Amino acid sequence: MKNFFIVLITKIMHIGLKILGKNGGNILGKLAYKWNPNIFSYFKINSPVIAVTATNGKTMTNNAISYVFEKAGKKVLSNKEGNNMETGILSTLLKNCSLTGKIKADYLVFEVDEGYVPILFKYIKLDTLVVNNFFRDQLDRNGEVESLILKIYDFLKTYNGNLVLNNDDPNVARLGRANPDNENVYYFSVEKYKYASNEMKEAGEGKFCPFCKTRLEYEYYQYSHIGKFICPNCQYGDNEIYKLGTNVDLENQTFEVDNVLYKMKSNSIYIVYNFLAVISCVSLYDIDTKYIQEAISEFELNNGRLEKTEIKGIPTIINLAKNPTGANVSLRILNEDEDEKELLFVLNDNRADGFDVSWIWDINFNNLTNVKRIITSGTRAYDMAIRIKTSGFDVSQIEAYTNLHEAVDSLYKTNVKKYVIANYTSLQPTRKEIFSL
Amino acid sequence: MKELKILYLYPDMLELYGDYGNIQVLKYRLESRGYSCVIDRYSLEDIAPDFTKYDLVFAGGGADIEQNILSNDLIKYKENIKQAIDEGVFFLLICGAYQLFGKYYKDVEGNIINGLEIFPYYTEAIEDRKKRCIGNIVIDVNLNGNSSKVIGFENHGGQTFDISSPFGKVLVGNGNKFNDEFEGFFQKNIIATYLHGPLLAKNPELADYIIKYCLDRKYDENLCLEPLNDNFENLCREQLLNRFLSQ
Repeated sequence: MKNFFIVLITKIMHIGLKILGKNGGNILGKLAYKWNPNIFSYFKINSPVIAVTATNGKTMTNNAISYVFEKAGKKVLSNKEGNNMETGILSTLLKNCSLTGKIKADYLVFEVDEGYVPILFKYIKLDTLVVNNFFRDQLDRNGEVESLILKIYDFLKTYNGNLVLNNDDPNVARLGRANPDNENVYYFSVEKYKYASNEMKEAGEGKFCPFCKTRLEYEYYQYSHIGKFICPNCQYGDNEIYKLGTNVDLENQTFEVDNVLYKMKSNSIYIVYNFLAVISCVSLYDIDTKYIQEAISEFELNNGRLEKTEIKGIPTIINLAKNPTGANVSLRILNEDEDEKELLFVLNDNRADGFDVSWIWDINFNNLTNVKRIITSGTRAYDMAIRIKTSGFDVSQIEAYTNLHEAVDSLYKTNVKKYVIANYTSLQPTRKEIFSL
Repeated sequence: MKELKILYLYPDMLELYGDYGNIQVLKYRLESRGYSCVIDRYSLEDIAPDFTKYDLVFAGGGADIEQNILSNDLIKYKENIKQAIDEGVFFLLICGAYQLFGKYYKDVEGNIINGLEIFPYYTEAIEDRKKRCIGNIVIDVNLNGNSSKVIGFENHGGQTFDISSPFGKVLVGNGNKFNDEFEGFFQKNIIATYLHGPLLAKNPELADYIIKYCLDRKYDENLCLEPLNDNFENLCREQLLNRFLSQ
């Protein structure tokens, strides 16, 4: 009975918030969770629950999976705004259930914060878990990557549902061994692309075999520690691949899976991995390939996620980078673009960003392709300027402004193509400054 | 051309907090002044280095799992390392490396990771995994008689005891233990500290102290280092010292 009233009250609040034109974020979930942490058991969910987790690319992968299902005419319930902790997911459920807790949808698709997977799916039966990558991320807030992985590994020991794993990330593929009795483990991989390298170019994690501690051998690195690896001692990494991305062509923005050509609106290897996760996941639900092709060709990122725009007629690409890999992926895109360009890097150190900014030293600023000028901004503008200067970039072409308005003003003094990289709390203020020009 | 040789220990294992930046800063400040800088890397399974052949040895911080793997490897070089220290080779040791040069490190589960026992201090992790000394830190360091404020970031669960000569006096932050008065370990040719940042990026005075020490020792002179354009460093220090010291 208590749960009925919790749902009733939160529903009334939801209507109230709507009238006020507010979304409310995870407020409803927070309240309901406070009243009864066991409220999850109240929901009657009869459709498959799919969860996506990763350090980078959760929101995109989650939203693209939902988009494919919707293309195929299915009703999807998802936390598309990225509220990915238990209270955020609870809010999504509360807003969309009947008073008796029934959820009407063909699929429930959630992006889930890495740390919350074991917590959330104690309550909700999970049909498919998609794990894409693990990178170092705000170490002062999240701790070491290893402890996060071990928590998920422990959870998976008793899990028998579908498990979709990136076989090119040694920290992800290892999860496939958590429960040797689980026959529903599916690995995806991507063939070597044009800019893959023989050496790790950016900071990465997977250097030693998680099972026998031998140094892993890589045939190639796609980016960071993502690539084709094997343990020379115990053969860890040699898995049967369920979906393999082939013929990646970033100039023409295409790749193939099972001899089907996929066109996409992006030119990043990192996005190809996200789409491989998507294709692997939806293929488990017999979705017709034509819907997948269509969805992937239309799917567009926005809101500062590889957002392409024009400001005063000047091509501008804006990307969020919360951690070294995010920034390195952005710089890869910049370096694979031969055009002359200028870069704005905005770095804040607010609570949500993590107070520790030493991760910027894990960004590879060496040999930037045709970058004429770099501007830094944010509360840590000078730290960023020192970092870039030390990498060898001509110090006379670096400008640092703690004031974002001045930084953006200076950036658009020239009409050269712009790349903008901003971290978590600086992204929206930066967009606001740029779009108000 | 005058040259410094740096030995960079376990670059693929002790590399969690951008500590490699320290080497980049040293290289940058050397090359900007027309000196050459050679960086040799040593990690597991590589040919044994001779520590006495280097001017500076550097090692950073890593995850527990990696620290465990490499501690047994490092101990093989104990006598050679001792000799290098006695001969005056400079050692810059950050976080995990700081701990490894002491007697031992006791981890969260109570396992003892043996240290090199070169210095008399020892480190014990707090049992509660969530309790760590995390945050911006400013310490006051005495460099050749001049007081210098050193800015960094600390993130360690380990509490280090029995420090005879600390690196600096804590102005903001924790230091060797929660709310400690002192941070790190300092001897003429040894700096061992918890400070990331990386340490030398925002502290050019400290970077130059190390460079001068190494050049003076190698070429038997008393150099006056040519000043560099440190505009960004100075602005950064001014901004951050204002912010942190007013907390």
